[in-house]
Amino acid sequence: MTYIKNKQMSFPELADWVISRTMKAGAGDCRVNISKRRLVEINYRDRKPEVIKEATTQGLYLEVFVNNRFAGQSTPDFRTSTLEGFITGLIESAGIMEEDLFRTLPDPKYYEGRSTADLQLNDPDYSQLTPEDRHSMTKAVEEACLLKGGDKVISVEAGEYDESYEEYIKSSKGFEGSNKSTYCQVGASMTAQDEGDRRPAGYNYIGCRYRSDLPPLEDIGTVAAIRTLDLMGGKKIQTTKLPVILENQGVGRVLGGLFDPMSAGSIQQKRSFLADKKGTSIGSKLLTVIDDPFIPRGLGSRYYDGDGFPARKRNLLSEGIVNEFLVDWYYSRKLGWEPTSGSIGNLIIPPGTRSIEAIVKDLPRCILITGYIGGNSNSTTGDFSVGIIGKLFEKGSFVQNVAEMNMADNHLNFWNKLVEVANDPYIYSQARLPSLVFDDVVIAGI
Amino acid sequence: MKPIPRRKFIQGTALAGGALLFLPGLKACKFLDTSSSGNYFMNEFGIDETLCRKLLAKALSRGGDFADLFFEFTVSNYIGLEDGKVNQSYGDISLGVGIRTVKGDQIGYGFTQELTEKSMMSAAATASTLCDMNAAEIGSSFSRMQTGNYYPVAADFDGIAAKSKLPLLQEINQKCFALSPEIVKVNAGFQSSAKRILIASSDGVMAEDVIPGGFIYSSVVAERNGKREQAFFNLGGRRDFSFYTEDVINKVAQKSVNNALKLFDAIQPPAGEMPVVLGPGITGILLHEAIGHGMEADFNRKKISTFSTMLGKKVAEPFVTIIDDGTNMNLAGSLNVDDEGNPGKKTVLVENGILTSYLHDKISAKYYGVEPTGNGRRQDFQNYPVPRMRNTYMLGGDATPEDVIRQAGNGIFVEDVSNGQVKIGEGDFAFYVSQGRMIENGKLTAPIKDVNIMGNGPKMLANITMAANDLEMSLGGAGQCGKNGQGVPVSFGLPTCLVKSLTVGGTQQKGGQS
Repeated sequence: MTYIKNKQMSFPELADWVISRTMKAGAGDCRVNISKRRLVEINYRDRKPEVIKEATTQGLYLEVFVNNRFAGQSTPDFRTSTLEGFITGLIESAGIMEEDLFRTLPDPKYYEGRSTADLQLNDPDYSQLTPEDRHSMTKAVEEACLLKGGDKVISVEAGEYDESYEEYIKSSKGFEGSNKSTYCQVGASMTAQDEGDRRPAGYNYIGCRYRSDLPPLEDIGTVAAIRTLDLMGGKKIQTTKLPVILENQGVGRVLGGLFDPMSAGSIQQKRSFLADKKGTSIGSKLLTVIDDPFIPRGLGSRYYDGDGFPARKRNLLSEGIVNEFLVDWYYSRKLGWEPTSGSIGNLIIPPGTRSIEAIVKDLPRCILITGYIGGNSNSTTGDFSVGIIGKLFEKGSFVQNVAEMNMADNHLNFWNKLVEVANDPYIYSQARLPSLVFDDVVIAGI
Repeated sequence: MKPIPRRKFIQGTALAGGALLFLPGLKACKFLDTSSSGNYFMNEFGIDETLCRKLLAKALSRGGDFADLFFEFTVSNYIGLEDGKVNQSYGDISLGVGIRTVKGDQIGYGFTQELTEKSMMSAAATASTLCDMNAAEIGSSFSRMQTGNYYPVAADFDGIAAKSKLPLLQEINQKCFALSPEIVKVNAGFQSSAKRILIASSDGVMAEDVIPGGFIYSSVVAERNGKREQAFFNLGGRRDFSFYTEDVINKVAQKSVNNALKLFDAIQPPAGEMPVVLGPGITGILLHEAIGHGMEADFNRKKISTFSTMLGKKVAEPFVTIIDDGTNMNLAGSLNVDDEGNPGKKTVLVENGILTSYLHDKISAKYYGVEPTGNGRRQDFQNYPVPRMRNTYMLGGDATPEDVIRQAGNGIFVEDVSNGQVKIGEGDFAFYVSQGRMIENGKLTAPIKDVNIMGNGPKMLANITMAANDLEMSLGGAGQCGKNGQGVPVSFGLPTCLVKSLTVGGTQQKGGQS
């Protein structure tokens, strides 16, 4: 806690104090972000606690703008007696930087229009969560996983993590924002005995803003075991070209390769293969990607972005066409464009009508990709290559699990091969995406 | 307890973030004989032995095998150049203590950012909740550990001043543009940190260290006939400013530019299994992913590693010896003392083809009845330590690099990699090739790029069929290994060596189909 003249300061009072001192010390503008996080983590293995961890952290991040020069620094120390020196030092740091006319705080007109909707980010029952609750939740998940895993189990680890987060942001240009949120996650990972020395490991961890939104704990543990058992006997097959289905939970891993090149920073720095693609098609008509920051209790829901711009719902891609780039304040000025927001809230792809099971039945041969290893995506060229784990089906029937294989393509080709969207958006993520079906993808193996 | 002079601490750190007017590496200064002979936390924060004993007693007040305290004060700062100007300065201060109570393989952990007795006692109480027995004894006194000195710095080292970094970034920018008219963008950055730690454990060990870290990098975009390519190169490690000479600046600029230009001629190799030759140096990431993680003892103690039944068995050809080493001078993974108070060591994992040791922290060492290997590492005071690699490498063989490439026949040669990942239980791994070449009829031919390589650790280890006499360690400082949500700096090394068969990802099926 921070005290001034024996009075405890609230976050807004501390922010005002910091801004006042920073401006007096010579800054032309400044922005301060004050945050506090309370976290608890419990892990069980072999039916006993393996880790119990609990703590509170706090941070103050200050950005200063001095004669078109910029510096930012964070500190965990909120005491005004020490912040005086921190502020002075930071302004000196900015002073030795080179002049950058584009580095300013946003024009206040861009702060207008913030939503007042209740996004329900803060679970009112969070404080009711007791140590006993945490232990019993973890035990329930562990038991379910052990039960489903049966004699294949080598080891099960189950865990519960929860946190309460609070932030307050204020700038000398009139921006003020605050946010309180909670998060609760439970899950398990299991290692199973497979052929020879192979010990496949799978997991299922589910996180929500409200504890009451968690699915039944038994289901979480059971799914962890099922996802592990699904890896048994994984082998590579002959290198081939065939339809692939990206399972909903992993779609973000591949789709994410589009967002860095859609950012104004990559475009201005000539590191984007999408720089000249706005308004043009880069994928099939099924590729519609929506940024929706207003989903109640959504893990990516928010009122404002890092620049302080009000959150808004937008179509990033519409029927394969690049509709909007991710333009933050700084690079909007460098490019001479209007800012749009440089970051994303919740990602949505409108779901289709059929389940994975129904889709698989109609494909003569396909791989359902359920996991990834390593890999990378080149934002400048659009080439990507990633290790995959999954299941091979023929005429709707399961043939074998596949492992140690690789999928590669160029994004400008790949998204044109999108032929169907499943009806199963994964809701326990900021990327609330359904499974996607692609034609003719080269999968490397033997 | 002595009052904590925090004003001094904050002022000093803020200045280190950007405006120190002296160059720490160039000052006439006294270097420590060993890194642990300081008394920094006592002098700056009033952390004395009496207080440490009190905190440890609290941590063990409900029983436990042992407890330890990990005090940390880290100042890090980054400055960056973009569009010809050094216009970004970011800094961070990390200060606090993590308190751990251990009973068997169970861990109770609390931490606090406030080094007040009240806050620290509260964190110790949190750690103690793991147990519900009678209080355990703590040692009657502490002995100060004398360690190696694998990254000598001045006793008062507190980071590299931004003002001294700035001209180096400007120089990189100028050199990159001067090296080729095809360079259209240059980003450069200089990250550095000064980390001070104090470890006190209930078994009477007290160790202190000051750890420099950082790297300088260049990332360039080249353009030719409307096509663009990018490349990145960095150098660094556990070093002070004296490392960042003209030669280093030249090398960073040249490598990034040359690597980017080379990619204009790069092709996609055919996809599928083929011989893979790993060039010397950073390709040692293969050992890190394919083998190293699987040999971390926590995974083996829990029997979830594919290597958990292989100790003492033949896992590779007799010429293969693999080492994880905390004692290399100035490398990113070097450690004078690990984060549990064990001295930095060199650990032979595979000796002449036989798996001889895992990488241990205190918990696993006790489980296996061996001495800790000095691999207990953590990202910061907010995390408890787990077994982690340091600098992992394989010793060289007798062949020449040309012999190895000739022996491969047709396959690919890996020159540079950017990242990797492993599945511990299966042993399956991947690493991403950012630079390489085709091998055709035993000769290096067209460049390749953006290819992921897949394999299985134990199989790959058994399939190393040839090694050259050119072991090279990576001198980069940007390498970070992630485990349990914690990142720690590591380094790698490898001689040119041949792996008989790995799966190469790509869009071209063998025979030319795409």
